[in-house]
Amino acid sequence: MSENLLEIADEILEKAQLAAAEFHQLDQKQTDRIVEAVFKAGFNNRVKLAKMAYEETGMGVWEHKVIKNVLGTQLVYESIKNEKTVGVISYNSLTGIAEIAQPLGPILAVIPVTNPTSTVMFKILICLKSRNPIIVSSHRGAAKSCAEAVRICYEAALGAGAPEDCIQMISSGSREFTQIMMAHPKIALILATGGTGLVKAAYSSGNPAIGVGPGNVPVFIDESADIPFAVSNIISSKTFDNGTICASEQAIVVVDSIKLQVKAEFERQNCYFLNNEEAAEVEKVAIVPETGRMSAQIVGQSVATIARLADIKVPDGTKILMVMPGGIGREFPLSGEVLAPILAFYSAKDYDAAINYCIDLNYLGGIGHSACIYSNNEKRIMEYAELLNAGRILVNTPTSQGAVGYLFNALPPSLTLGCGTGGKNITTENITARNLLNIQRVCRRKPSEMWSNFDQSKYFDESQTADEITRDYYKNH
Amino acid sequence: MVNFEYNNEEKTIKVIFSGRLDYLAAGELNEIIQSEPIMKNRQPDDTLIFDIGGVDYIASSFIRICVIHAKQSGSQRFSIINCQPFVKKTFKISGLDEILNIS
Repeated sequence: MSENLLEIADEILEKAQLAAAEFHQLDQKQTDRIVEAVFKAGFNNRVKLAKMAYEETGMGVWEHKVIKNVLGTQLVYESIKNEKTVGVISYNSLTGIAEIAQPLGPILAVIPVTNPTSTVMFKILICLKSRNPIIVSSHRGAAKSCAEAVRICYEAALGAGAPEDCIQMISSGSREFTQIMMAHPKIALILATGGTGLVKAAYSSGNPAIGVGPGNVPVFIDESADIPFAVSNIISSKTFDNGTICASEQAIVVVDSIKLQVKAEFERQNCYFLNNEEAAEVEKVAIVPETGRMSAQIVGQSVATIARLADIKVPDGTKILMVMPGGIGREFPLSGEVLAPILAFYSAKDYDAAINYCIDLNYLGGIGHSACIYSNNEKRIMEYAELLNAGRILVNTPTSQGAVGYLFNALPPSLTLGCGTGGKNITTENITARNLLNIQRVCRRKPSEMWSNFDQSKYFDESQTADEITRDYYKNH
Repeated sequence: MVNFEYNNEEKTIKVIFSGRLDYLAAGELNEIIQSEPIMKNRQPDDTLIFDIGGVDYIASSFIRICVIHAKQSGSQRFSIINCQPFVKKTFKISGLDEILNIS
């Protein structure tokens, strides 16, 4: 391990700790003023940063990146601006418990290449709202645009009275340095958004971490669904930023009785079903054979680019390449996660078989992430929710825009989606400012009446059974 | 609770289960399977298929029975078919779905 890198890490963390010490003294008003200033600065640069991210990464659609930047600034701000994050944040007179919010300390925020500037601004806002200094570690493929987002936010924060070094950025590059930073004893928390390897490294660092998991989002279109509506929503979601959001739809599952109807609707709305030969060519460019995982060259690419890479001809204006992998599992690579406008399509003989397909897709690398159902049958909606292992079960909703919250539901807007233990995460929540607080509980004396009145000597009498003790414990209550 | 079918052409033994396979039922099933003549006469190249389409609950002891038979048969000669979604989810949670070749 390079001593030089260790020294650099020490220096960064020393600055961050000083910022944490100063931050700790700010009150709610001062904190909110900083958060508002950063929101406005980030928001005012939403278009410039979106274009920079698009040009630098070559992924997605810049206009959609603008919307992501709006989510990461305006909508996140809307959701946290009135939240108490300093001092006493709640008191329950019934229980006598008061909750006090304390900051965590320096947070290392790892940023993915797929959603760079939006995730930077989102993480900065939630860190500042919780009075935690943030150290941004960007993917090397998005370093310039992330650096610019950091600069804009930092200047705004300083202008509003934030502590010096409350936002820092480490130059991306060596994996070794990222690991040194992750394992540094002065890091309070790692906020890891990225691939499985990165998240695992964060969890293995010895420091607390909030990570995300990969998705493989199944969408069940039930017979009771409004099919044109469902297809239209799916297309708007899967094409959003060319499918770079990990919550984007990966497979459509229907029952045979509506297969032709759904297929025709996709075709009517400019999606193209590949024949077997074309699908094989797309698979060659979309999947790395050695790993069976998606290839970086197609992530966030347009249909036209993918078709060119695969050397196939598709109708002009095609929105999504539809494939019918014929099965689910490693031997059917396109049944896994592909962050591009490529969508698998399955038809099952009946409802139970269709749900089994969804379960298989869900467990093929997407445990704990998101799943979706289009239905107008409440019983089936709840059955589906019970059977799928997903932190977010989206109902009649585009998954890219639905899972990130706020736009289509009351989930907190977030670009870090917890996937629970199935995705090797600690929570299934949409991560927001409240996840970045240590909550102290001040517990006023409120003796339990039952405990006080109960003859505790009975506990020492071995002949007393659980039923007898319980009866006496609740006597006269 | 359990029926056996032997298909001489395909060389498959299909064991058809139904009902709630809780701890007690699984214990009884094990004995029934062991003593069934079709099972006793099973040839090494016979494929064993557990059809659990009529099963709505499985205890861990039943999953153990499946694992024992899967191991004895080898993955190419054992499969579980017709799972109801709830039962399929249970196998997934057990983490044994791949060994058991569930379709």
